[in-house]
Amino acid sequence: MTIGQGEVRKVAQLAEIAVSDAELPRLVEQLNRIVEYVAQLDAVPADAGDAAFTAGPERVALRADEVRPVPLARPPAAMATDFIDGFFTVPHRGATGQG
Amino acid sequence: MRAADVARDTGARLAAADASGMNATLHWSQSLLDRQAAAIDGAPAGPLFAMPVALKDNLVTVDQPTTCASRILAGYVSPFDGTAVSRLRAAGALLACKANMDEFAMGSSTEHSAYGRVLHPLDPSRVPGGSSGGSAALVGAGVVPAALGSETGGSVRQPASFCGVVGVKPTYGRVSRYGLVAFGSSLDCVSVLGRTVDVAARVLAAISGHDPLDATTADRPPMAAPTSAVDLRGRTIGLPREYFPEDLDAGVRAGLDRTIAALEALGATLRPVSLPHTRYAVPTYYIVAPAEAAANLARYDGVRFGPRRIGPEGGVRALYRATRGEGFGDEVRRRILIGTYVLSAGYYDAYYRKAQRVRALIAGDFARAFASGVDLLLTPTTPTPAFTAGEKMDDPVAMYLADIFVSAVSLAGLPAMSLPVGRSDGLPIGAQLIAPAFEDERMLAAAAALERTIDATAEVRG
Repeated sequence: MTIGQGEVRKVAQLAEIAVSDAELPRLVEQLNRIVEYVAQLDAVPADAGDAAFTAGPERVALRADEVRPVPLARPPAAMATDFIDGFFTVPHRGATGQG
Repeated sequence: MRAADVARDTGARLAAADASGMNATLHWSQSLLDRQAAAIDGAPAGPLFAMPVALKDNLVTVDQPTTCASRILAGYVSPFDGTAVSRLRAAGALLACKANMDEFAMGSSTEHSAYGRVLHPLDPSRVPGGSSGGSAALVGAGVVPAALGSETGGSVRQPASFCGVVGVKPTYGRVSRYGLVAFGSSLDCVSVLGRTVDVAARVLAAISGHDPLDATTADRPPMAAPTSAVDLRGRTIGLPREYFPEDLDAGVRAGLDRTIAALEALGATLRPVSLPHTRYAVPTYYIVAPAEAAANLARYDGVRFGPRRIGPEGGVRALYRATRGEGFGDEVRRRILIGTYVLSAGYYDAYYRKAQRVRALIAGDFARAFASGVDLLLTPTTPTPAFTAGEKMDDPVAMYLADIFVSAVSLAGLPAMSLPVGRSDGLPIGAQLIAPAFEDERMLAAAAALERTIDATAEVRG
């Protein structure tokens, strides 16, 4: 299976990553190299009935389902580029751009 | 000894390392070291009293920036400490610096840092490994006795091997990931680098144990710092034949040969075993890890933290795309795109679901080997010693194959470690010990016994 320029553009849009036309050919080449490499898993006899791996401990200890504030050394406003009246702000919704 | 004296000496070593051009640190300050030392000197001595520990820059701290060596997090300072960091502070450790790394822990050479590559501590033309290359280089150069790194697919064991230090990846779930910037959540482990097995084990013991803030930590007590085994009589060590290929680097083979001889001298029984699905570990990893990374890194959008870019259209989607397009480096972008591709409609079953099934087969190989009476496994950590900078930068798959002996363990969630066992043409060689889940102490005790009998700086015949 190979990935063409159109598919890379589509995936980049899904991933919300700007990719310029100039860098597209090299990106297509590198992604195809990776896809060709991982395609060797096609040869492994692991069918739909086989179990998938599940990470994690044998038993999970859940804490009480209650709201507990996380003490913060500084408020969210200190991290954000733009923060007004308790809200993270972004450019006007009217200029959402199309995917 | 006062922590204040340690802080002063640590600052002098960090300054000398920076002046050498090693580029292993991203942030530290003498005033912060001094403030920590004053607190340590004024409190009861903890188990890590005044031990300088470097932190990989993907472990969040309230008093230093956390950038993951990425432009997209430039200037970010966390409002809370991660659990491993808090536990180090509580144990009396001196948090020495934030260490350089491959951006978002994606890489095997620490060349994928937005802040420049890290130089190998013994040969500046070579890489220290990655992604915890800054942490490994600082320990290897003697700047700090210990460092925290993180493993997703070998990112502590591989640089530990390259830099000639001890690198320990605990069992998945043994150490809290609260405050570790997420990359591949079914794989990520806070891990430890140390000058010796004892140092690494003591740090690991201090940070291990259940954490209510991370539901994936096992409901078990903290790990005990193991005592060194006097000998290894009664222990059976398996040698997986897939990890000793015909074309294995001659120096690596010589290092492993002397390790095998040392194990026999300590009374261990060695026998061959097979892990037949090992050869699928790297391709499996490079489906699972990018898929999880694509989801985890979706949060970096220029809205809540980090610098933002406004795209040419001026809207919010343009903001996301411009911020992420400019903020992420080449390798991170590649992995997000691959991860998004394998999770997209029409490809999910062919790639991600298939990889998770193969992952179960890989884990099953280890389970069968241990069930057959093998206590530990021994393999090379890496197929070659440290490679030359730039050598693999144009071919992502060649770079991925640097992790060929370490990624299967990560997929199976097992504890494993790299121990320096000699040098080939002056470059360190690492041997990897692998244990069953939650038998970290057994592995560390055996490593300590080996460490006593092997001169890790001795040249081996290639």
